[in-house]
Amino acid sequence: MSLIHELESLVQELNSGLDQAFSLTAVEDLRVAFLGRKGKLAQIMQRLPELSPEERPEVGKTANIVKNKLTGLLDECKTKLESAAEADKLAKFDPSMPGRMPWQGSLHPVTKVMTEICDIFKGLGYDIVTGPEVENDFYNFEALNLPPEHPARDMQDTLYVTDNILLRTHTSPMQARTMLKQEPPLAIIAPGKVYRRDSDLTHTPMFHQIEGLLVGEKVSLAELRGTLTAFLQEVFGPETKVRFRPSFFPFTEPSVEVDISCCMCGGDGVVDCQPCRVCKQTGWVEILGCGMVDPEVFKKVGYDPEKYTGFAFGLGVERVAMLKYGIGDLRMFFENDVRFLNQFI
Amino acid sequence: MLLSINWLKEFVPFTGTIQELDDALTMLGLEVEEVIRPFEGIKEMVVGYVVECEKHPEAEKLSVCKVDVGEEEPLNIVCGAPNVRKGLTVAVVKVGSVMPDGTKIKKTKLRGIPSMGMICSERELGFSEEHDGIMELEEGLVPGANLVESLKLDDEVLDISITPNRADSLSVLGIAREVALAFDLPLTVPEYNLVESGDDCSEEVTIEIADADKCYCYHGRILEGAAIGQSPAWMRYRLVAVGLRPISNIVDVTNYIMMGFGQPLHAFDLDRLEGGKIVVDTAAEGEKFVTLDEQERTLKADDLMIKDGSRSVALAGVMGGANSEIHDGSTRIFLESAVFQPASVRRTARRLGLSSDASFRFERGVDQLQCPEAMDRAAAMLADLTGATVRKGVCKAEPKPWVAPELTFRPQRCRDLLGVAIEDSFCKATLEKLGCVVTGTDSETWTVVPPSNRLDYEREVDFIEEVARVYGMDRIEPVLPQVKRTLEARNDDCNEYEFWSLIKTWGCGLGLNEAINYSFVGHTDLDLFNLPKDNRITIMNPLSSEQDAMRTELAPGLLQNLRHNLGHGNTGLRLFELAHIFEADETSDTTVRESGRLNILFYGDRFDSAYPRMASEAEYADMKGCVEHLLAHLHVGEPSFTLADEHAWMSPAVDVVVGDQKIGTIGRINPEIADAYNAKKDVWFADLDTDVLRKLYVSACVKFASLPVHQSAWNDITVIAPITLNVQAIFDQVAATKLPLLEKMELIDVFVPEAAEDAEQTRNLTFRLTFRHSSKTLKDKDVDKERKKVVYSLENALPVRI
Ligand SMILES: [Zn+2]
Repeated sequence: MSLIHELESLVQELNSGLDQAFSLTAVEDLRVAFLGRKGKLAQIMQRLPELSPEERPEVGKTANIVKNKLTGLLDECKTKLESAAEADKLAKFDPSMPGRMPWQGSLHPVTKVMTEICDIFKGLGYDIVTGPEVENDFYNFEALNLPPEHPARDMQDTLYVTDNILLRTHTSPMQARTMLKQEPPLAIIAPGKVYRRDSDLTHTPMFHQIEGLLVGEKVSLAELRGTLTAFLQEVFGPETKVRFRPSFFPFTEPSVEVDISCCMCGGDGVVDCQPCRVCKQTGWVEILGCGMVDPEVFKKVGYDPEKYTGFAFGLGVERVAMLKYGIGDLRMFFENDVRFLNQFI
Repeated sequence: MLLSINWLKEFVPFTGTIQELDDALTMLGLEVEEVIRPFEGIKEMVVGYVVECEKHPEAEKLSVCKVDVGEEEPLNIVCGAPNVRKGLTVAVVKVGSVMPDGTKIKKTKLRGIPSMGMICSERELGFSEEHDGIMELEEGLVPGANLVESLKLDDEVLDISITPNRADSLSVLGIAREVALAFDLPLTVPEYNLVESGDDCSEEVTIEIADADKCYCYHGRILEGAAIGQSPAWMRYRLVAVGLRPISNIVDVTNYIMMGFGQPLHAFDLDRLEGGKIVVDTAAEGEKFVTLDEQERTLKADDLMIKDGSRSVALAGVMGGANSEIHDGSTRIFLESAVFQPASVRRTARRLGLSSDASFRFERGVDQLQCPEAMDRAAAMLADLTGATVRKGVCKAEPKPWVAPELTFRPQRCRDLLGVAIEDSFCKATLEKLGCVVTGTDSETWTVVPPSNRLDYEREVDFIEEVARVYGMDRIEPVLPQVKRTLEARNDDCNEYEFWSLIKTWGCGLGLNEAINYSFVGHTDLDLFNLPKDNRITIMNPLSSEQDAMRTELAPGLLQNLRHNLGHGNTGLRLFELAHIFEADETSDTTVRESGRLNILFYGDRFDSAYPRMASEAEYADMKGCVEHLLAHLHVGEPSFTLADEHAWMSPAVDVVVGDQKIGTIGRINPEIADAYNAKKDVWFADLDTDVLRKLYVSACVKFASLPVHQSAWNDITVIAPITLNVQAIFDQVAATKLPLLEKMELIDVFVPEAAEDAEQTRNLTFRLTFRHSSKTLKDKDVDKERKKVVYSLENALPVRI
């Protein structure tokens, strides 16, 4: 048989081999068997010296054609098998299998609300300050115009360490602590834990407050309202209405209680034809206390109350969180049940 | 303060709705907490008239009555009251109606005779504790008419929260003034007519005020021939409606005037006062005194007392004494109307835990000019209700008469502080409506003299508040201010808030749940953790023994959370908390050192969901990796982990050190402690000091290292080491060999083969050594050379085989 014929018969031979090749490895084996260094094609070509120089170019040409054909056949078969494998993989793919979830963490709702509020005031140019939770009577009461026999001390039931040392009942001590260190103008936000001797459905003996204080020249109540309106609308949405009504705090004068339109019923007092439980049908919910810094407080820290005026406000973080997230039971904040915590991712 | 709308209407002709009143008062700063309907429970009761009354044939104590309730036929009602009789007007609950306690009245049979309702006693109606018989109503009421309406009961009462500065509003009169202001109405204070008789008695009881700072004025009137008894029904109903308990006509009148006008009064039995005088003086230190609630009180030397010629008879402004109290046989009354120093009354009331309606008002301040008038009103009313005659003259002393202060007001200052252009004329009109005398309004600074009922007007700013209040706080237009700061005050250091925020974000991002616990725990919790006692901060007046100490560790709180979560079926926990711990420190200005802590707790299932994760439980490596992750996140440097010698509540406990700074400890909660919190598996814990971490963080700096140019080569070696040898010893030994080409050494596999008997237990530790040369690519033979150095070093220095 001529070499040319032998070469040409390789095509047929590979074809029948490929008919039996059902895997990529089988195809690869055939590739080695036919086109490898010691493969069939190479073996035939080893016999090239047997031929006369005139015959050689013709055989070489044929060998090239055959080699291309073989390569083509192998590639074709491989592609076929690969697409079959891909189709098979897709057919078996189940998108509903569970995902490999990384751990899911959460910030405590108090932290979430606190961070949101602090960030708003940081953006407005306020400094964030912190201070001790166990306080002197002086910073917690005296410096805030609450002398020992003042009836307003009844407004806050206090936990004492000694007669003179107590757990701060509000974040307001940071007003005096800051003003004693710093001259106006100043704008601070003081977040932190506060304590009261009180425990029932709507009170826990520890909760969180955020205190704000701005002191400068000609600071006005209208500016306090502007500041709080901006902040409350950012937290509760741009439609939120802000109501100012007179109140009393020993360290501010005038003192104001601030209400916002109820976020549950939108101020209508009615949800799904039922009386709104959040605002008790009034359409308003109390959100914070504030006022213009009392001149007595300025005197205690050595500021001239004729020259400087300022405003201060304090709000309960849990209260905001309850309204914002619709949490009904205050005690849940401190049980740290992960089914609760995981809702604040 | 409970305010009856009907009572209010006697003082001001208000005709609006209760909602209008509620809104107006709230916006004036007298916040209406709720509208109470005190007689809601008896709203279905009707007036009945007993037409017939006969003894029950079968039961001696029962009567069978026919009661006219306005229906065609009188009702048949069996009644057990001894005072039921023909011709009485009574309160009836019909079948189908409900009693105040919720019981529904049903048709019944008593000893064979049907009863179609019930006749009520005072107690059943909520008017008093009286239940020996049925209540006898006044004659002339229409049978069948609604009881509440017929008796003109105060069916609408506002619960108003009065802020401590508004002492003037602790009375019907005070609130009527505000209502008059809000609705532009006149005041129509009820008239009274005091008839005095007999000789002037003003010298019969002399008043001596020994401590003029504590008693500004003292007035007394003598009444004789009083017949003590029940006060009339209308007064009792009204007192009940505003939350007071009717006692007797004499005491009820003093309470009625107090609620109406804000002046607390006290009635002594004059026959029980000795020596014909009243002395207002402080108590003897340690003196015992029995107040009229039968409690013996031990007094202090600064408690102000009312004394007679020989002994103490009342705690001034707080409570009367049992020794001089009005009793059933009293006929001669000494009626006291006085003004005491607020701070003094408050000190005594607070110390004795004895807050009364009187002390509440004295603490906040009462109107000194009105003091004698209130007494006269009470005297006139007592004469009327007890038949007493009021003796001529007043026994009195007034060492400190009311002097109105002269204050200033600058309308421009008012506009500046409020940020509203309020007219001068509005300011003047407002101050005058509030009872002030305003002069000098043609200059920039006005003179304002406040009325005696407004003790809270002390400074200009108090008037500015009043102008804002009447103008309407809610009408003030919002303006967003510019925030100005000084360059000096800027503080760019990462403060505690910011640092904690950073860690919280890290913790949440890593997949931990942030917890927040109370700062106080019980001493017993701290004891359970074997914590020292000498540095603890104890709460003097804790709510409970579970909250009587400030925590010196965060662990007890997180363990409580663990117990709670296990109790609710939550199986895998990864909690963290950032908070302060509190320790006694004499050098601190608060006597307490507050330090920041980050605690992390791992328990149980490592992953929240099962497939495709393998079920597995958190272990030491999880906690250590977590802490390493944090330290890498903060760029504070490589930590080392060494077994702590001993630890109060963790075992094993491993100290985490960076450089020479101890950052904290990680480890496992002692099993017996964990067991106390129902934890059956290992509780892995980290207790880190955020103050130290913050210092390291602030001084850390991130520097870029250029990336290597040449490829690295690696080689694995397996070290057979005794199981007791720490992996760290191998790392340390290799590090000590100081191979410049060794870039990295990692533990990649651990295998513990079964040990042959009496052979030492070993484990096979496989390390991957990565080598790199900075200026050329390493060849196999270079790597082999380095590897040999490692093998040589380990085999020589440690009891290991390679
Ligand atoms: Zn609502």
